[in-house]
Amino acid sequence: MLLKDTISAALEGLKRSRMRSMLTTLGIVIGVGSVVLMVSIGASFERFIVDQVESFSGDTFEIHAKGVQDIGKDVLSITFGDLEAIRGLTTVKNIAPAIFLTDRAKYGREEIAPMILGTTKEIFYNWSMKIDEGRLLSDEDDKGAKSVVVLGSQAAEDLFQNENPLGKRITIGARKFTVVGILETMGSPLTAELDSMVYVPFLVAKAIKGRTTYIDYIALQSINGDNELTRQDIVSLLRQRHNIDNPEDDIDKDDFYARSMEQAMEIIETVTMSITLFLGLIASISLLVGGVGIMNIMLVSVTERTKEIGLRKAVGARRRDILIQFLLEAIVLTLIGGIVGVIGAISFGYLISLIASKFLGDLTYALSVQAIILPLVTAVAIGLIFGIYPARKAAALQPIEAMGYE
Amino acid sequence: MPENDAPLIETKNLQKSYFNEELETPVLFNIDLTIKKNEFVAIMGPSGSGKSTLMHILGFLDHHTGGEYLFQGQLAHEMDEDTLSRIRATRVSFVFQAFNLLPRASVEQNVMLPLIYHPTIPESERAERVAKAIETVGLTHRKNNLSNQLSGGEKQRTAIARALVTEPDIIFADEPTGNLDSVSGIQVMSALQELNEAGHTIILVTHEKSTAEHAERIIELFDGRITKDTTEFKTRKAKEEDSLQK
Repeated sequence: MLLKDTISAALEGLKRSRMRSMLTTLGIVIGVGSVVLMVSIGASFERFIVDQVESFSGDTFEIHAKGVQDIGKDVLSITFGDLEAIRGLTTVKNIAPAIFLTDRAKYGREEIAPMILGTTKEIFYNWSMKIDEGRLLSDEDDKGAKSVVVLGSQAAEDLFQNENPLGKRITIGARKFTVVGILETMGSPLTAELDSMVYVPFLVAKAIKGRTTYIDYIALQSINGDNELTRQDIVSLLRQRHNIDNPEDDIDKDDFYARSMEQAMEIIETVTMSITLFLGLIASISLLVGGVGIMNIMLVSVTERTKEIGLRKAVGARRRDILIQFLLEAIVLTLIGGIVGVIGAISFGYLISLIASKFLGDLTYALSVQAIILPLVTAVAIGLIFGIYPARKAAALQPIEAMGYE
Repeated sequence: MPENDAPLIETKNLQKSYFNEELETPVLFNIDLTIKKNEFVAIMGPSGSGKSTLMHILGFLDHHTGGEYLFQGQLAHEMDEDTLSRIRATRVSFVFQAFNLLPRASVEQNVMLPLIYHPTIPESERAERVAKAIETVGLTHRKNNLSNQLSGGEKQRTAIARALVTEPDIIFADEPTGNLDSVSGIQVMSALQELNEAGHTIILVTHEKSTAEHAERIIELFDGRITKDTTEFKTRKAKEEDSLQK
C-alpha cells in the first residue's frame, strides 16, 4: 500500500465523520492555542520588561542598603565613608550618590508630593536620562550647593501645566529652587516613577536631611564592562568595611545590595521565564485533555468502523496498513488542530498585545519559532501516543470477526 | 506463491471449533475436499451447517483448528499474517450477502479498494481496471453514485466488480442472492457464471438448491460434515451447448 493511499484512506475516514472530527480537533485547537498564547504573551511581557530595564545601561550598578523600598524611613548601612572608599576603586566610574527626600513641592497654587532625589550629574548618564529643555545638574551646582532643580517631565507638567518652567522658582519644603532643566519623558510604566521625580544637587539634599552619615543609594558604572569583577570589587570592599564575614558569597548575609542592571535583568528574565513556563504548563494540561479526547474518539471510530476494517483486511490490508491508517487519522486530527490553534493563538495574542500596548506603551508581540514548533510537535506526538492504542486495536481485529461485528 | 500442479484447494480432515471460556463448540468435522482451478462449486446446506465457516477458512478469513488446509500445495497454518494478507489481496476475493460496501463511498471508490492493497498492480493501471470491472457488471452509468444510492442488485454487482478487479484465482460468494429480489438474483448469478467462464474459480455458498444449481458441482453440508459431493450439474455454457445440439 502506497503512503499516498494510506493518507487518502485516513482523510476519507475523517471526511466521513466531518462534524465529529471537527469537534475532536477543537480540544487540540484549544490546547495548542492556549500553550502558544500563554508562552507568547509571557515572552512579550518578558521582552517588554527587559526592554525597559535595558534602557538603563547594562553596566550600571546600584548599591543600596537592604530595604531601600522603605524610602523616607531610615534604612541605613551605606555611609559617606563607603562612598569615598568606592571612589577609590579602580573598576568603577560615574559614581552618583543619592539621598531620597520626601517633601512637598509648590509652584503658585499647584502642589505635588514628589520623590526628591539629591544627586550628582552622573545619575543622568547612569540612568540614560536626557535633558529636554534647559540643562542637567552640574558639578558647580553640587559644589556650590546651589538651589537649583531639574524636573522629571511628569513633575514639570503637574506643577506648571502649560507654562514654561525654566527659570521659575518652586518651593520644596522651606527652600526656593530655580528650575534649570526638564528631562525627556522616559515614557514607560517601569520608569514612570523617574518622570515624577525632581532632582536637586546632592549636597543640598544632604543639608536638608541634616546630620546624617548615611547614603540611600549609589549608582555607578563598571569601568571595563566586566560587571562580575566590579561587583566582587564593591562587595569585598563593603563587607570588609561593614565587618561582614562572608567567604561563601551569600548575599543574604550582607546588609547591602550591589548588583548591575545586567544581573537585575537576569533575575527578571528568570522570573518571567518561570511564569511563562508555569502558564505554559497549565495550558498544556488542556492539550493533554485534548489528547484523551482524540483517543476517546478514535476508539469510538474503531468500534464504529469495525466492519470497514474487516472489509479492508478481507481485500488484503495488512496489520500495519490498518495501524498506519488509524494512526495517521489521529495525527491528521491533532496536526490540523495544532495548526488552527497556533494561527488562532497568534491572532488573539497579537490582538491582546495591541490592546496592552495602548495601556503600557511600546509592547512588541514576541513569538519565538520554538513557541510555534514545540506545541505542534507535541500535538502530533499526542496524536501518535493517544492514537496508538485505538490503531493497534483496529489492526489486531480478525477479518471475519470484524465483518460479523454488530 | 508460485503456480504448481497441486490442486488449488485441498483439505484433509479439516476441523473447526470455536472456544468460549474453555467450552469447545465444534462446527466442522473431517472435511476432505479438493477443488481444482476453474471449477464452479456450490457449498450448500441449511443454516448452521457450517458452510459459511468453511468458506471463511478456505478464503483465509478465518483459521481452522484441526487437520490440514493446502492452498496450491502450501499448508495454510504455516503461513504468516503477511502471506495471508497477500493471498487475500491477490489470489482470492469475496462477495458477501450483506454486500459489505464502504458507506458514503462511490461505486468507483469501492471497486478501487482492493487495488490499493494489491502489492503488484501499479497505480497507473488502477483506473483502467476499475472502469473495466464496473463495465463488466454493467454499472458504468452508476460509477459516481454513492453505495447507499444503489439498489440491492446494484450493490451486489458493485461487490462483484470489487471481487474481480484484481483478477483473483478464486471468487468466494456467500449467499450473494440472499438479499436480492429474483430478477437481481438472476443477474448476479449470471455475472458469476460469466466470471467462471472467463477462467475464475467460483465457490458459492448458499442454502437454496435453485441457486446452487448454477454450479457444476454441489458439496452438501449438514451439521458440519460433508454429506454429498455431486459433479453432475452442468454450467450454463454447457447447458446452452446441449440445447443447441438438440
